[in-house]
Amino acid sequence: MLNAVQIIIGGLLQGSAFAIVALGFSLVFRVTGVVNLSQGAFCILGAMAMYFLQVDFGLPLIVAAAGSAVIGLAFGFVCGAAIFVPALSRLPMSAMLMVTAGLLTFMEGLILVIWGNQSYALPPFSREAPVLIGALRVPSQGFWIAGISAAIVLGLWWLIYRTGFGVALRACAQNPLAARLMGIDLNRITLVSFALAAAIAAIGGVAIAPLTTLQFDSGRFLTVYGFIAATIGGLGGMAGSITGGLALGVAEQVAAGYLSSLFANALALLILLAMLLWRPRGLFASRREARADVPTQRRVQRAVVRIEGGGAWGFIVALVILLAALPFLVPTGLMASLTIAMILYIAVLGLDVLMGYAGQISLGQAGFMAIGGYAAAILATSYGWPPLAGVLAGMALSLIAALILALVTMSLRGDYLALATLAFGLLIDSLTVGLVDITGGPSGLVGIPAFSIGPWAFATPRSMYYLALTLAAILAAALYGGMRSGFGRALQAIRADPTAAAALGINVSRLKVAAFAIAAMLASLAGSLYAFNFHFLSPDMVDTPHSFETVAMLVLGGEGTLVGGLFGTFLLTLLPTVFQPFALYKTMVEGGLLIAIFMYLPEGMLGRIAVLLSPRHARREVGSHDDARA
Amino acid sequence: MTTPALEISGLAKSFGALRAVADVSFTVAPSSVTALIGPNGAGKTTLFNLITNLDSAAAGEVRFLGRPLTGMKPDAIAALGLIRTFQTARVFPGMTARENVLAGAHLAMRSGGWQQMLWLGAARREERMLARRADDLIDLVGLSAFRQAPATDLPMGAQKLIEVVRALMARPKMLLLDEPAAGLNDRETAELAALLRGIRDIGITIMVIEHNMSLVMSLADEVVVLDAGSVIARGPPGTVRADRRVIEAYVGADA
Repeated sequence: MLNAVQIIIGGLLQGSAFAIVALGFSLVFRVTGVVNLSQGAFCILGAMAMYFLQVDFGLPLIVAAAGSAVIGLAFGFVCGAAIFVPALSRLPMSAMLMVTAGLLTFMEGLILVIWGNQSYALPPFSREAPVLIGALRVPSQGFWIAGISAAIVLGLWWLIYRTGFGVALRACAQNPLAARLMGIDLNRITLVSFALAAAIAAIGGVAIAPLTTLQFDSGRFLTVYGFIAATIGGLGGMAGSITGGLALGVAEQVAAGYLSSLFANALALLILLAMLLWRPRGLFASRREARADVPTQRRVQRAVVRIEGGGAWGFIVALVILLAALPFLVPTGLMASLTIAMILYIAVLGLDVLMGYAGQISLGQAGFMAIGGYAAAILATSYGWPPLAGVLAGMALSLIAALILALVTMSLRGDYLALATLAFGLLIDSLTVGLVDITGGPSGLVGIPAFSIGPWAFATPRSMYYLALTLAAILAAALYGGMRSGFGRALQAIRADPTAAAALGINVSRLKVAAFAIAAMLASLAGSLYAFNFHFLSPDMVDTPHSFETVAMLVLGGEGTLVGGLFGTFLLTLLPTVFQPFALYKTMVEGGLLIAIFMYLPEGMLGRIAVLLSPRHARREVGSHDDARA
Repeated sequence: MTTPALEISGLAKSFGALRAVADVSFTVAPSSVTALIGPNGAGKTTLFNLITNLDSAAAGEVRFLGRPLTGMKPDAIAALGLIRTFQTARVFPGMTARENVLAGAHLAMRSGGWQQMLWLGAARREERMLARRADDLIDLVGLSAFRQAPATDLPMGAQKLIEVVRALMARPKMLLLDEPAAGLNDRETAELAALLRGIRDIGITIMVIEHNMSLVMSLADEVVVLDAGSVIARGPPGTVRADRRVIEAYVGADA
């Protein structure tokens, strides 16, 4: 009994931390409708700033804490003014989600550059000994966290309901157009909310840092847990965020206390999926009904880029010849990277069908790479299966996982689907690290044989390169056949307007599942080849940052082109190899690139080149036709 | 008597306190043109949404060719041959006009994704055949110069025509057209009327929401007048035009 109470108190403590992150989520979501994935990174920024000011610099607790909050606020202002607000006015919602994912990656990279990849632990605010209440032990930091949470809530409540700024903020949340017509500067309100959310997150990071150890990339867990808490409470509400945070904290601690901490992670992600399924608007939200034929999302014009005719075929033939000759053209030091790039391209190719054609964002590609990689590796090492059978088994397993995930998430709006795939990826991450008996845990699996088909073994990077190239060429040709025909058109129709697509008899959910399954199976194939190529597989080779990386590769190259991803993949794989001394900056640059591409080069490198090369501008045709009719 | 193409009985839907559609019942004869008219906010588009299950009805039933549509998903209803267009033209952004029209052929396609990915001859032939048909239909509505243009670059009236021929690509048994003439000039409207008569003459039933009275009078075999969610008159165009309640609904009770 006592133990149970102890666990629940622990849960409430942890829950307050989730609640603080959730509050920041809600604030930004309420004003803009955007799920800001960078929220958790601001927690880490706050905690690291605190460490710097308090431990390195020796400032008193209060001064250091206030300084950290100011740093969070200032950085929030900069990111908001330079990235978030300008992006919001020109990008569709799904791209906004990726911009914040880019910001998360960028900030992780920045923290990595400044503070390195070691773990940090802050001293508690007051005396080390836990406070004893009867027989219960409560860490003294718990009181601080509870107090800080309460102070943030009161402060926010005062700001939103008792100040002119709050009135403007609520007006923007309710009806942005009317607010603008009334002379409210929507951009200013958005900017202030974003910066305020950043400051709240930084304070939250400062408060929870003494209870746990934090690393440059711990932010994404806080992001996910904060988002889960906010979802339980119904995104946008303060009371909901707090209840959601506390409930999640308790559920997690109970699961960890009575089962295992591995299960606690899984439970949190399962709670999210259950919430998204059962009550996507949260526990407290009411149902609203609107006319179903009126689109709720702002329509965004997309460039129509079509490379057709003889030029396209010439380009493809030249590209294949170049790729085949590449191993003889580059220095031998680059061969290993070429192989990696070609293998990753297979995963990016699958993602292009899902993202570039069907318009669904997946942040869980690496999860399927892990399934494929570990399945093939374990079957080959422990059970002596031939590699090819292992690859196929991995793909089958990924297909099953994808179908289950799709079944659960199919009814979700775009953003929620992306977040569900992120949760899936993190779940797989925790399994690959946690199931030590099966996966070898953090140290990974060794002794994976080379890939072979019958008597032919692919033991060198060069032979693996040609294997991957052959597979990629076959897959790309097949997908091109599908994408230029009815299948691809139906996917594009779904991306453009699911309601109108359904009105033409297109089974939206079935085709989305098909695209999702293709993406999962190709990622799985790439993961298997990865394992056979390195003869080794560890969780960090196929963890969630690689999901973000595949997305960055795809959008950099050009979505919806099948070939474009190749350029993005090669660029992002080879550049760090060529500039080895700058490897530390890789994460930061990737995040920055992700943001920059979405904002300035939405059609990607290949798309840009195609636009420049094609003199036939559709717009001019329209104009001349109008003249003729007049 | 033959089975009606569409049989609507006791259909009702409210949004909050607003009764958008209240106890609407009527039937549509096969191979006829029914015009659905009424002042703004009368519930015309909501009725279309209820027929295609885009919104779920609070009460009532719709039967298409004798088959109840209750509980069916919009795409399953489309698969029965009941295809609709939208009030605000909903061409697919990011696709050319021809690709838009081709997307309408989804239901008519025999070859599936697998055959297309394997580059099978049958799939390629079907694709070429459909492309010819799409071009032909685009020519028919006078938009041949726009084939390769991004569909969203077209003028609003042209987008609505693209939507109509896109619906035709699905080889429908019945079309629900929501204000197809909006954005067209007089000559284009006359061409549209001729096109719709042609569609009816090849046996496709049409129900059309339209504000253009001369189009309605020249085209419709039957007119249904909706006001404040209820049917206030129905019958041949001549009869309905003379109906006192219709004149009141349109011009106001004092007139």
